[in-house]
Amino acid sequence: MKLLRTWVFCFSILSCIQWANGQEDKMIDATVLDSLNKTQKIPISLRFGVDLSRIIKTQATPDFRGFETVADLRIRENFFIAMELGNEEVTQQSERINFTTQGTYYKLGFDLNMYENWEGMDNHVLIGVRFASSSHSQNLNSYQLLDRTPFWQDPELVIDSGFSTGSRESLNAFWLEFLVGFKVQIVQNVYLGLSLRLNRLISDTIPENFDNIYIPGFNKKTEDNKFGAGFNYTLTYRIPFRF
Amino acid sequence: MNKIITKIIFVFICIGIMIHCERDDICISTVEGSPDMLILMLESKTGARKSPSGFSVRAIGTEKTLPQKSFGDSLALPLQISEAVTQFEFILNEGSENQNIDTLQINYQRLDEFINRACGYRANFILDQSPVIILNSGNNWIKGAIILKDTISDETAAHLGILF
Repeated sequence: MKLLRTWVFCFSILSCIQWANGQEDKMIDATVLDSLNKTQKIPISLRFGVDLSRIIKTQATPDFRGFETVADLRIRENFFIAMELGNEEVTQQSERINFTTQGTYYKLGFDLNMYENWEGMDNHVLIGVRFASSSHSQNLNSYQLLDRTPFWQDPELVIDSGFSTGSRESLNAFWLEFLVGFKVQIVQNVYLGLSLRLNRLISDTIPENFDNIYIPGFNKKTEDNKFGAGFNYTLTYRIPFRF
Repeated sequence: MNKIITKIIFVFICIGIMIHCERDDICISTVEGSPDMLILMLESKTGARKSPSGFSVRAIGTEKTLPQKSFGDSLALPLQISEAVTQFEFILNEGSENQNIDTLQINYQRLDEFINRACGYRANFILDQSPVIILNSGNNWIKGAIILKDTISDETAAHLGILF
């Protein structure tokens, strides 16, 4: 009698395990199927393109000449290593100062996709961070002197040669960018994207007897304020090849 | 999901606001402009600050009278920015029989100093080694000049002492 109960007990335990195993097998099957689906969707892929806003601005305004290339590398389904490389030449009349800034910049960082796509879609709502650096020069074309009690000369007299005018070479700036944006796949492998950026200046070399009023890539630098803002409007192409 | 999109739109708006806040595009009225040269009249024997009797200064090359800016016992003389020299007539006993006019030339270099984007630049001056030349000969009541501060970058202290 005692022996019988022991056998019943052992058998039921084993059957439980067997049943549980059966459950697990089914689950494994399910996940294997699912992950197979996913692995088809998460390739490492390279995407590159240009910033349309700078091209349009170059065409539309005579005082701006700029070009920016963008690229990102998808390493996880929702994680991208991203970079921008650009060149700008900007002439501005800013209140009492007329200057030209010319230089190149690069930005390197990552993007995180917050958007859950439906099957077959590949759109992104992105947040991202960039570390950015520029190497540029500032040329002071002309300026006016501030004279609170003008006596000899017209206070609006413009000084356009000698004195403090001239070029300040080999300047650098470093800053961080925080961005939000989105990318929409408009046709297979072609994306249209918009990003807004909040820039935080870390350091910059101050030009002699002048200031980095404009920094390529960073845009306008205001006095006593380490923050700037920018945006880009990109057209990118994903190389169909998967690594 | 909706929450995230709402947050993102909020950040967009914040950035939009930041782009349009341009607080330093106005030159604040407390920012000092290009300084005038401040002179002190010093008695050559004692070195004491003293205003000569019937004393006045006239700028040469203009009909305008010099602005009467009060800086205690010193006198403000505006310098020309387009030239490296400015000439003044120093008049003693003006209007009386023994009126004596000495013509002084101030020699200097100009240096423009950056203020900021909105205000532009400020003209500073550096007085030459021999800052004053007396142009008329004979019967000079001005005996000479001493540099008190060779860089004219503000109007807080006298730059040149005129001895008589």
